[in-house]
Amino acid sequence: MAINSNNSAGKALAPAASSRKKVKNPMRKRLFRELKKDWKKYFVLFLLMVFMIGLASGIDVGNDSMMAAIDESYEKYTIENGHFELREKASPALLSMIENEDITVYEQFYKDLSESKTAPNEMKSTSDIDEATGAKPSERLESDEKEVTVRIFKIRNEVNRACVMKGEMPSNADEIAIDNNHAYVNKIKVGDTLYIGESAFTVSGLISSSDYTTLFKKNSDFMFNAVDFDIAVMTEEGWESLPSSVFYQYAFMYNEKPATTAEQKEKADALMEKLAVLSATGGFTDEKAAAEELAVKMQQQDPEVMQLLAEREGDINELKDFVPEYANQAIHFAPEDMGSDKAIMSVLVYIFIGVLAFIFAITTSNTITSESAVIGTLRATGYTRGEILRHYMLMPIIVTLLASAAGNILGYTIFKDAAVALYYNSYSLVTYETLWNMDAFLVTTILPLILMLLINFIVIYRKLRLSPLRFLRKDLRTSKRKKAMRLPSWSFLKRFRLRILFDNMGGYIVLFVGIAFVMLMLAFSIGLPETLDHYKANLDENLISNYQYILKGYKDEEGNVITTSEESAEKYSVASLETIDGAHKGEEISVYGYENESSYIKIDEALSANEIYISSPYSKKFRLSEGDTITLKEKYEDKSYDFVIKGIYDYDGALCVFLPQENFNKIFGLDADAFTGFLSQNAISDINYEDIYTVVTLEEVMSIATQLDHSMGGMMDMVSWVCLVMAVLMMYLLTKIIIEKNATSISMVKVLGYENKEINSLYILLTSLVVLFSAVATAALAILGLAGVFRLYMNSLNGWFDVYISPMGIAKMILILVVSYAIVAIFDTIRIKKIPLADALKNVE
Amino acid sequence: MSEQEFLKVSNVCKGFGEGDSRQEVLRGMDFTVQKGEFCVLLGPSGSGKSTLLNIIGGIDSADDGYIAIAGDKLRDMDEKALTRYRRKHLGYVFQLYNLIPNLNVKENIEVGAYLSDKPLDIDDLLNTLGLWEHRYKLPNQLSGGQQQRTSIGRAIVKNPDILLCDEPTGALDYNTSKEILKLIEDVNQKYGNTVIMVTHNNAISDMADHTIKLRDGKVRKNIINENKISAVDLDW
Repeated sequence: MAINSNNSAGKALAPAASSRKKVKNPMRKRLFRELKKDWKKYFVLFLLMVFMIGLASGIDVGNDSMMAAIDESYEKYTIENGHFELREKASPALLSMIENEDITVYEQFYKDLSESKTAPNEMKSTSDIDEATGAKPSERLESDEKEVTVRIFKIRNEVNRACVMKGEMPSNADEIAIDNNHAYVNKIKVGDTLYIGESAFTVSGLISSSDYTTLFKKNSDFMFNAVDFDIAVMTEEGWESLPSSVFYQYAFMYNEKPATTAEQKEKADALMEKLAVLSATGGFTDEKAAAEELAVKMQQQDPEVMQLLAEREGDINELKDFVPEYANQAIHFAPEDMGSDKAIMSVLVYIFIGVLAFIFAITTSNTITSESAVIGTLRATGYTRGEILRHYMLMPIIVTLLASAAGNILGYTIFKDAAVALYYNSYSLVTYETLWNMDAFLVTTILPLILMLLINFIVIYRKLRLSPLRFLRKDLRTSKRKKAMRLPSWSFLKRFRLRILFDNMGGYIVLFVGIAFVMLMLAFSIGLPETLDHYKANLDENLISNYQYILKGYKDEEGNVITTSEESAEKYSVASLETIDGAHKGEEISVYGYENESSYIKIDEALSANEIYISSPYSKKFRLSEGDTITLKEKYEDKSYDFVIKGIYDYDGALCVFLPQENFNKIFGLDADAFTGFLSQNAISDINYEDIYTVVTLEEVMSIATQLDHSMGGMMDMVSWVCLVMAVLMMYLLTKIIIEKNATSISMVKVLGYENKEINSLYILLTSLVVLFSAVATAALAILGLAGVFRLYMNSLNGWFDVYISPMGIAKMILILVVSYAIVAIFDTIRIKKIPLADALKNVE
Repeated sequence: MSEQEFLKVSNVCKGFGEGDSRQEVLRGMDFTVQKGEFCVLLGPSGSGKSTLLNIIGGIDSADDGYIAIAGDKLRDMDEKALTRYRRKHLGYVFQLYNLIPNLNVKENIEVGAYLSDKPLDIDDLLNTLGLWEHRYKLPNQLSGGQQQRTSIGRAIVKNPDILLCDEPTGALDYNTSKEILKLIEDVNQKYGNTVIMVTHNNAISDMADHTIKLRDGKVRKNIINENKISAVDLDW
């Protein structure tokens, strides 16, 4: 610019000034002083951020370290590529045919028995309790000892080898090594005695088996259950001595493992079909078409075929179950659940850091307002908007960076240990090593930092857009409204409060959002246990029957139809189909066939061929109602069935379809007198255990609630306390900011003669009303949010239950918040009392 | 433009508001100021003197007419150029000091020094301003006069071509006001900056090289003071 060259004063001074160094920006010196002056505010922000970043980082690091250990364990312990179960032990000829399908097969027969820490003769007998209390078996189990099923394998040396977590593998027939997680949950230690069936065994060790990281009894189960289900290994001698029927399960490894999941699925589908055909034909063919041709000839009593069948009688078998590794919940549930924990935690961190960023931005915005004349002067003197912006951005950056550093340190130590302990509490996991995790650092540190910067940048930039003159005049209103908003002719104090509300709208909006966040967490911490309790209570009341016996076949080995003398027993049928579309594709649906005038499934309406009732959770999850048509398919075949819904049956236990026994047999092509088993109120004692495939008890139906209760129950109380602390800290910050912003006005009304009580009625009462309104409004939003999150969660699982929060639960949520605010209000009252009268006089021009 | 015609104010108009409520604050102002001159803009409240100062300072703009500094018209500058102009060539002193409360005296002066590639020596300046002993005090530990001295220090430390002073003694008592005026006079004489001072105090015009009397947004008198007196001799 031309004036540069004409600067005589500059020229005169040039020799003296030229040797001087450029002055560093003195504004930086303000930062430490600002931190010192307002340390409480920044410390609270710092603490909240440290907590969130630490928690997220701990979960991420723990999670990823654990995931790496799990991934590694598949190879280290030779985890199966899948397994299948046959009705009988496969003959050597059949096995050889099966192994021709490019797989190597390993026996992993098991027995399911009851497990107890108490000797059988110390337990009261069922009948005693019945007579004494008249209680249902489920109540007996609740009040006495839980019925635990242990699945016992012989020590597996080739595939699915176990990682010994404590103690050692059994070496004697009277020793057993049980699952580490089950032992932890049930407080069983190495050296303890366990009663398996009728016999006593010593726990020689605790193991984790990567094919059972999650203790699912059946792959189709709604939820795993480490409380009531256990897996164990014994020596061959010990195993043979167990008095129970054998489940003929075989693990398999592909000779050439498919690389991608798509290829795995394709290969597994083909293998499953071949196994089904091979076992049904005793290894005669693995081609479905050939098997069908064989079946036709068999029906025609073709002598050649009959001869062939007679020769292969010992080889003929039946595929009862087929679970490829990628679809095995016991293997994959834990890592997938841990993955979703990470995702949920990240979302929570972002929401919370967002709230904190807005609190920070409001703090800075208020500082800018109070320093507007200085900013105006600096701008008038030549400071650029960028320089001022950078100055005000420094504080959030410094606090966030410090919090990130501290959060990461805690994340890699205390929080990581806590996260890992939570995982060990729920899953049976192998040992792990803590790994440095760049992704965790990015997600828990870099992204929150960027979020903090972005929100602060936008808010501060918008504030600094005004001209220097506006800053000098302290005219920072962005609203174009020239006159004050007209208010109704209420009392002066009411109008005054409204003006304060409008004036501090930004702060109150952030307060509302913060309260919404806390309420959502409270909805989880209070709503989840209530939901589980409600589900359990509800199920106890309307369970189909206390016992569901599933037989291996409806005839015994001699061909006689199995019967029982138990009076409450009633024949029924059950089959499993799966969904092909809707909320959860591939969800297992139990199809029940009930007898006429059944005393367990009470459907009076006469239903024709494909008409059905569905259970209420099925209707809710898949949003189905009367008149809709559904299609379900066989799990291991292409066959599908269309049904028309005639009604909804009030049964919360599972996603089911109900139809008359007669229609059931027709639809599934069964004999007219065929049935699956018995529904019964009491235990049936006169059926040979070798004829029983499995018994479904109330405990099993309730396993999801039991497991969720165990996994999350303790944590939920902790979450409630965390919510309370967070609510106190957040409201402390926001109300502090609001009061500080209004310090001059408060001082002024003090000068005018208002008493502290009256001032409190203006500021504290208003904030109390806002808090109360926010609590009530966000309670409803939080419950809707919880229901939404729950629906998403349930859609990824088998099964369904409704979110339930009682009016008392809602009241508790609001009460926690109100109590939090009451604590804050005490600080606010003190703060208002401390505002000096001189403030008003100093700040008035 | 003559060699000495440093600041030119040409037909500057400025109004506020719209329609019936519009008020014309500046109604065509014309005058020039010479380089190194001590110029006083004198007028009663509402005469438009602060508005004019703000337009000269580039923090407000004229509706019509222009202001040129050393031939460069401010209206041709965009926001960035205006900031650069203020940064390199202007020093501002306000009635209410506007110091940064959590920086001490020396640091508040450094706030101005930071903007310059060749700032004056801060220690020298602290001595000149009589603030050496107070250099580590925070603004709230200073008297009004000391605060205004600091604010002047902040304005002149970058050795600006023009020092704009908006009622610099408006909040001060008689004696302190005279001290401040003497300080500005010394600065003007020592460093040769052009000083433009807005005031409603008639007496101050006696120490100026050039007085422009304003009323109702117009220049009523443009006086070159041949017999100016020192600030210490002022009386009101």
